[in-house]
Amino acid sequence: MQQPKREKERVHGTKAILLRALLVALITLTVASGLSAEEKLIRILHVNDFHGYAEPHKPFGSQVMVGGIAYLSSAVNRLRSERPTLLLAAGDMIQGNTWANFSKGESVIELMNAMKVDAMVIGNHEFDFGQDILKKRISESTFPVLGANVLGLEGLKPYVVKEVGDIRVGILGVVAEDTPVLTHPNNVMSLKFVSANEAAERYLPELRKASDVVMVLSHVGHHGDRLLAEQVKGIDVIIGGHSHTKVVDPPVIGETVIFQAWEHAKALGVVDISYGNGGIRKIKGYLEEVRPAEGTEDNAVQAIVLKYKGLVDAALNQTIGESEVDLDGENVRRRETNLGNLIGDIVREVSGAEAGLINGGAIRTSIVKGALRAKDIYSAVPFDNYVVAVKLKGRQIQEALEHGFSAAEKGAGAFPQVSGIELKYDLSSPPGSRIKEVRIQGKQIEPEKEYSVASIDFIAAGGDGYKAFGDAIRSSKDYSVIGGAMKGERVVYSNPGMWLRDVVIEYIKFHKRVNPRIEGRMVPVGK
Amino acid sequence: MVVYVNDKPIHLLPGMKVRNALIQAGLLGLLKENRRVYDEWGNEMGLDGALYENMKMFVR
Repeated sequence: MQQPKREKERVHGTKAILLRALLVALITLTVASGLSAEEKLIRILHVNDFHGYAEPHKPFGSQVMVGGIAYLSSAVNRLRSERPTLLLAAGDMIQGNTWANFSKGESVIELMNAMKVDAMVIGNHEFDFGQDILKKRISESTFPVLGANVLGLEGLKPYVVKEVGDIRVGILGVVAEDTPVLTHPNNVMSLKFVSANEAAERYLPELRKASDVVMVLSHVGHHGDRLLAEQVKGIDVIIGGHSHTKVVDPPVIGETVIFQAWEHAKALGVVDISYGNGGIRKIKGYLEEVRPAEGTEDNAVQAIVLKYKGLVDAALNQTIGESEVDLDGENVRRRETNLGNLIGDIVREVSGAEAGLINGGAIRTSIVKGALRAKDIYSAVPFDNYVVAVKLKGRQIQEALEHGFSAAEKGAGAFPQVSGIELKYDLSSPPGSRIKEVRIQGKQIEPEKEYSVASIDFIAAGGDGYKAFGDAIRSSKDYSVIGGAMKGERVVYSNPGMWLRDVVIEYIKFHKRVNPRIEGRMVPVGK
Repeated sequence: MVVYVNDKPIHLLPGMKVRNALIQAGLLGLLKENRRVYDEWGNEMGLDGALYENMKMFVR
């Protein structure tokens, strides 16, 4: 086979359209100059880590509106019209944004079908709704869903060969091997994940025989893609996802060119491949950033976006249960409140922990008694936080509580709301010595005894200045999933696939009525 | 899991993301000042990007 020549091209920002036009002109010129009658040009378009961001949005820290799947789809249509094209999705498509979560990813699959996606690799977050839902989503897809290193999941294919303009493109799909610790253990029960390398070594020989161009559609992250290219020969192109990397200067590792198109429909990846004389001649890639310009959207796709937006709005207005009392979210930074108790109890209960501790700042507003709507919960706990639980020593819990009360008079967001914990505090004492008594599950706390404590990832990562969880994590060996249960030195629960607000909604739907009270969990003493 | 943000070691749970690393490093707020996160090869990363052991990232 002729040695393939790898070239890279990058286009980004506002220059994208001009440079794309130049690229097209250059290719047209090359063909017109009679380079080789055999030369064939194909195009691969790719997205990754969409996470249901269907509408244009402003990313954290930015005031610029970006993305919008209808605008991305319009770019797909334009680029498709220029040459034979495949549209690929590199995983984490169906979960994340409310637009996707409310239909458990059904909205995204309808969108992808309308966009005529040619293949998708499964991402770790595709498992977040559970295997039954995932199998349903796969069955609804008009495109193959790939996962060569996932064993035991019905409907997945290891690879697919697509014919594009007389060129056979073999596409192998691989997902992060550590998916079992990236979602709730129940979601991957009885499945086996092997390394991307092992799957590639197994399938590439047969895929190579059946293909002119060999691609890996990967959801292992940019670092993993580089390792795969270094360690496994025979891959022409890796289209990546998982690390949300904006690859504007695609690296060439050995004979493999590696691409990734950022996240959240903010960019469309474009890879142009010229093929001739039995081999790849050139591979060029760039990103087209997606900006919502009115009137340029794909109307068919926009109709799907609006349809599900309407369904989400309706669902948010639906009654999910009832509260017998007003739920106080106003005073969560100053004292125990019944809403703080409710959220704390939910966090503790779903994780099976002995105690729960969240920051008052996680709760943003009150809810009046009566019918509870999903949107009330979304307003009260709006952040993308998920539930974790770790083992803390009694003295670490005490330190965490001292931190929580250290700026209580200023209304700091760190002020705790607790469950399974009773304490007395004295704000007239200096910060660091305000906690006077702590009981866990009704018993006096023991400094060296370990307790399982539930919280949210924000606090576990050290948010609002909490260090105790970080200290515990630092001294913990990584955990793993064995037999469907999480095993580890200190981590006892982690469910990154479900936001706290959705956990609360599920809890209220299940219990139907809530009636949380102030119970004297945190009692002021002293002056 | 240990990652490095501007060469500072950050200890996180598996499954945590770039956002969690920046929270612990106390640098998330810098993104409101037009700073961005980059991997060791100079690629910009999204806040929900996955991490790996000993990963190096930079806010600048």
